[in-house]
Amino acid sequence: MLTLSEHASRHPKFWFRLSGALCLLLILLAAAPTLSPATFSFLNPLHIDTDPENMLREDEPVRVTHNHLKQEFSLYDVVVVGVINRDHPQGVFNARSLKNVYDLAAFAQGLRWEENGREQGVVGVDLMAPSTVDNIEQAGLGTVRFEWLMPSPPVNDAAALQVAEKAMRIPMLRDTLVSSDQKALALYVPITSKDISYQIAEKLRAKVAEFDSNDEYHITGLPVAQDQFGVEMFKQMAISAPLAMLLIFLLMWWFFRHLRLVLAPLAVAMISVILTMGLLVVTGNTVHIMSSMIPIFVMPIAVLDAVHILSDFFDRYPRIRDRNKTICEVMEELSAPMLYTSITTCAGFASLAFTPIPPVQVFGVFVSIGVGLAWLLTVTLVPAYIMLMPENSLQGFGMNTDKDGEEHTALARFLHALGRFTYRHAKLVLVATLLVAVGAGYGISKIQINDNPVKWFAESHPIRVADQALNARFAGTYMAYLALQPAAPATLEDARNRVAALLNETDAAIQEPARALISVATAQTRDEWLREVQDSVAGAREQTDTDALWDAWDALGQGLDAVRQSAETFKQPESLVYIETLQKYLQETGLVGKSNALPDIVKTVHRELMQGEAEAFRIPASAPAVGQTLITYQSSHRPQDLWRFVTPDYRNTNLWIQLKSGDNKDMAAVVAAVDRFFAQHPAPTALKHEWFGLTYINVVWQEKMVSGMLEAFLGSFLIVLAMMAFLFRSLWWGLLSMLPLTVTIGAIYGVIGWIGKDYDMPVAVLSALSLGLAVDYAIHFLARSRFLYRQTGSWRETVDAVFGEPARAITRNVIVIGVGFLPLLAAPLIPYQTVGVFISSILLFAGVATLLILPALLTAFDLFLFKNLQPTREAEA
Amino acid sequence: MSLSLKRWATTWVFVMTGISATPAGAVDQAQVDDIVRKASHAAYYQGVDGKARVDMRIFDAQNRERSREFTILRKDIDDAGDGDQKFYVYFHSPADVSKSAFLVWKHVKGDDDRWLYLPALDLVKRISASDERTSFMGSHFFYEDVSGRTPDEDNHVLLEETDNYYVLKSTPKNTGNVEFAYYKNWIHKTTFIPVKTEFYDASDRAYRTYQATRVEMVDGYQTVTESKMSDSRIGGYTQMRYSKVDYDVDIPEDIFSERYLRSAPRQYLR
Repeated sequence: MLTLSEHASRHPKFWFRLSGALCLLLILLAAAPTLSPATFSFLNPLHIDTDPENMLREDEPVRVTHNHLKQEFSLYDVVVVGVINRDHPQGVFNARSLKNVYDLAAFAQGLRWEENGREQGVVGVDLMAPSTVDNIEQAGLGTVRFEWLMPSPPVNDAAALQVAEKAMRIPMLRDTLVSSDQKALALYVPITSKDISYQIAEKLRAKVAEFDSNDEYHITGLPVAQDQFGVEMFKQMAISAPLAMLLIFLLMWWFFRHLRLVLAPLAVAMISVILTMGLLVVTGNTVHIMSSMIPIFVMPIAVLDAVHILSDFFDRYPRIRDRNKTICEVMEELSAPMLYTSITTCAGFASLAFTPIPPVQVFGVFVSIGVGLAWLLTVTLVPAYIMLMPENSLQGFGMNTDKDGEEHTALARFLHALGRFTYRHAKLVLVATLLVAVGAGYGISKIQINDNPVKWFAESHPIRVADQALNARFAGTYMAYLALQPAAPATLEDARNRVAALLNETDAAIQEPARALISVATAQTRDEWLREVQDSVAGAREQTDTDALWDAWDALGQGLDAVRQSAETFKQPESLVYIETLQKYLQETGLVGKSNALPDIVKTVHRELMQGEAEAFRIPASAPAVGQTLITYQSSHRPQDLWRFVTPDYRNTNLWIQLKSGDNKDMAAVVAAVDRFFAQHPAPTALKHEWFGLTYINVVWQEKMVSGMLEAFLGSFLIVLAMMAFLFRSLWWGLLSMLPLTVTIGAIYGVIGWIGKDYDMPVAVLSALSLGLAVDYAIHFLARSRFLYRQTGSWRETVDAVFGEPARAITRNVIVIGVGFLPLLAAPLIPYQTVGVFISSILLFAGVATLLILPALLTAFDLFLFKNLQPTREAEA
Repeated sequence: MSLSLKRWATTWVFVMTGISATPAGAVDQAQVDDIVRKASHAAYYQGVDGKARVDMRIFDAQNRERSREFTILRKDIDDAGDGDQKFYVYFHSPADVSKSAFLVWKHVKGDDDRWLYLPALDLVKRISASDERTSFMGSHFFYEDVSGRTPDEDNHVLLEETDNYYVLKSTPKNTGNVEFAYYKNWIHKTTFIPVKTEFYDASDRAYRTYQATRVEMVDGYQTVTESKMSDSRIGGYTQMRYSKVDYDVDIPEDIFSERYLRSAPRQYLR
C-alpha cells in the first residue's frame, strides 16, 4: 500500500488521468443506453425501481402466492381518490360535487393506452364510483330493482342525497364508497400495473384542477405512495447528496483553510460515488430505495480517510516544510490503520450480501465496492494531488506552531484536556459507560419494529394528508386480502360414494341400467369422472321412449349435478356463516376498518329479494338458495364482481380487508388475530388460509429484513473482531477496538427505543453503517496509541501524544461528516431524514466513545494491555 | 307463411331500424330501413312461436368454465308487426338453480316486464331494471341480446355493402341508458341474419363482439344454432349452443304467466 502511495507521488498525473478516464467511461456506458435505449440496446440503462415488493426475490413464496391469487380473484392495485366537501351541509352529496365526481369517473375510465403491445391504464369496468356500481333496492310491492347507483349526475341536492342514502344500505359500499358520516365519497381506481400509479394520479389531479368547486380531492393508496416515492427519490438524489457534499467541503475548508488542498478529499468522494453508481447501473442493477442511498453512504466513508491524511499533513507540514517528506511520514503512520479501517468497513457492508433481501444485498455489495474504491483513490490521489500542487502554494499551511509542534488551537487544547481527564478519571468514565449501556439495553428492549411506505413522506406531504383525511372517514385505504380454501381436495372416492347413495334413491325403472352405465366410466379425477357420468346419463335420457323414463333420467342427471356441486364449499350456508363469524371477529378486534366478503353479497341480495326487511339480512338456509341468490346478483351490470370474492368452482374465497393503517405492526396484529380465530373456531369444512396484498407483503419483507439484518450484523461483528484480533495480534486488543462501536450501536438503538422511533428499513441498515464507521475511529486511536507507545514507552506520555494529532483527526472527521449530513434533515422523504440524523449521531457517538472509553480502559488496564509491547521495537506497519 | 321465421333462441344484439343518412353507396333511407327490419325479423321473429334448449358455456378471462342449461320458449304477440313478444326461460342446470324460471314480456314501446322464480327461496319476484343492458345470468350476453333491441331505439346507416353483407352502423338515440357509443352489424344479404355485431365505445374501440358461429336450416327457417359473445373489458366469452329447435309449436299464451313460473309447463321443456 505504501508502494501505491509512493507510485502515486512519483506519477501523480497518471493516477488522475486513470480515474478521470474511468469515470468518463462509466458515465458514458450508463448514459448512452438511458438516453438512447434503441441504439444501445446491448447496454443496461438506468432503471429506477421503487417497488417495496422487490425487497423480496421474485420467486419468494409470498410473492408467488400474491400474484397467483391476485390473478385468480381478478384483483388489481388500486388508486384511492377521496372527495371531501367541508362547506356544504350534505358534504359532497350535492348536485354540483356529484356532477364533478361523475365526470371524474368517466375520465378515469378512459385512461388507458398501449405500452409495449399491452394495454395499460385504468381497468374501467372494475372502477368503483357512484356511476359505475350497481344499486339493488325495492321498487314497489314484490318488485326488486337493479340499477346504476348514480346513472347520471343528480338533478338537485335532494337527488344527490339519495345517492348517499342508497349506498349506505349496501354493506359493500358503506364506509367504502360513502364515508360513515355520509359526507364524503371515495373512488377506487383499479390500474393494470402499480408502476403507472403516479402517472394515473397526475392525470387525475390535472382533471380535478379543471373543476370549479370547493371539494377537496385526495389521492392515496400504497401503489401511489410507492410510485411517487420513486419520483421524489430522484429529486432527492439530485439535490440532497450534492448539498451534503458541499457542506462537507465548506467545513473542511474551514478546518484546513486551504481551498486547493481540500479539493482532494472532495475529488476522492466524487470519483468514488461516480464509479460506484456507474458500476451499479452498468452491471444492470436497479436504483432502488436502498441503492439510491449508496452515494450518501459512500461519501462520508470516502472522505474519512482523506481527512485523516490531510489532518496529519496539516499538523506535520509546518514542522517538516517538505511536502514529499511530510507525505511519506504521514502515509507511513496512517497506511496500516487506513487499510484496516477500509477492510473492516468493506466487510461490514459486504456482510449484507448474506441477507435474504436482494436490494439490501446490492446495497451492501456496492457500498463495499465504493469503500474499496475510496481507499484506493485516497492512498493514490491524495498524495498525488499534494505532489501536483506547487510547493509555494502550501506556504502558511498547517497549524500555527511554536517549539516542537506544541499546538495552541482551541480544539487542540480541549483535546489535550480531555486526554488528561480520561487519564485521571478513568473509573468515572467507565462507570458512566456502564450506565449508558444499561440505559441502552432498556431502550433496545422497547424497540418497536414497524414500517409504512406512506410514512416515508413528511407529514405535510399531500400523500400523508390524503392518507389521514381518508382513513379518518373511510374504512381504510390499505388493502389486504385473506384467501380461504378447503384444507383437503374433493376426492373421486367421495363422488363415487355420493353417486352410489344417489342410485339407491333413483327410480327403480332405470336403477339397473343407470348403475351399469355409471360403472363403465373410466375417468380418474373427480371432475372428469362426474362429467363422463353426467354425459352418459344425459345421453340415455334422450334415448327414452316415454315421458316417465325421460323424467327419471332427467332427475338422475339433476342428482349427479348436485353431487358435483357438493364440492362447492363456499356455496354451503354453514361455510358462509363461518366467514360471517370471522368478519364479525375481525371487526371486533378494532384492527380492521372493514372486511368485504361473499356473505355480504349473499345477505344483501337475499334481503332485497325478501322485501328489503332487515330480518332477511342473513345467509339463506340451503346451498341452492345461496346459488339462486348469487345468480340473481350476477344479473347485474357487473357480474364479474362476484369472482373477486369467490372462484367459479366455489372452492376459494377471498376476504377484502380494508385497514386504516398501513403500519406493518398493525397488519401483523391482524395476521396474529386471524391465526387465533382459526385456532379457536374450527370451520365446518376444515379450511386453510393465505394472506396476500401489498400491505401484507410489506410485513413479510420487514420480518425478513429484521432477522436478516441481525444475522448480517452479528456475522460482520465477528468477522471484524477477528480482523482486529489479527491486526493487533491480540484478542484483548481486538475486543477493545470493538467496544466503542458496541456502545455506539447500543446507544443509538437504545435512543430509538426510548424516543419510540420505529425500527424501519433505514434504521435497520444503519447498524451496518455504525459497524463500518464506529470501528474506524477505534482502529485509528488504538493503532496510533500503540505506534506512539513504542516511541514513548509509557501510557502516561502516550496519552498526551495520542490526544494530539490523532485525536484531532478523529474530531475533525466527526465534525466534518456529522455536520455535513445535516442537510438531509431538509429532505421531504423521511428515510433520508432518518439516515441524516442517524449518520450524524453515530459519528458523534462513535467519536466520543472512542475518545473517552478507550483511553479510560487503557489507563485502567495499562499494565495488562501494554505488557507485550516493547517500546524499543520498530513500529509495525 | 306470412309470419316468417324465427330464431330467437339465438340471442343477439343486432336488430335495427330507422335511418338517418344516406351512405356513400347512395342507398336510400327506405332501403336501410328495410334491411334493418328484415334483420330484426330474422333474428327474433321467425315463426309465431318456438322453443330451443340452450347449452350456455361461460369462459372467463382465465378460461375457467361455467355452464348453464336452459330451455327458452317464445311467443310473438304481435307477430305480423314484429312487435311485442313473450319469453319463458327455464333452467335445467346447474343443479342448484334448476327449476328457476324467468319470464319476459317484451314491449316494443316502453319497458319490458320481467319476473323471476327462485324455487329454493320459494319466491316469484318482479324485476325492474333501469336498462336492459345487464348480464343475462352472469354471462357475457345482456338481457337485451336475448330479447332483442328495438330497432327504433337507434339511428341506422349503411356503411358498406360487400358481396355477402350489409354493414350497418347504429347509433343510439338516447345515450343515457346504454354503455356503447354505437355498434356495427354485419347482415347476411340473402338470409338477413346478423352474423356479427361489434359494440364500440366513445374512443372508437370495439370492446364487445357477437358472432353467429353456426347457422342451420330448421323447419324451413335459417336458424343460428351456435353463437358467441365476447367482451374485452372483462375478458372471456360466452358460447350458446341450441338444440331441439322447434318452430310453430302452438305454445299457449297463458304459459307465459306468473302462474306457470311455479309449475313449469313440462311438456314444452323436454
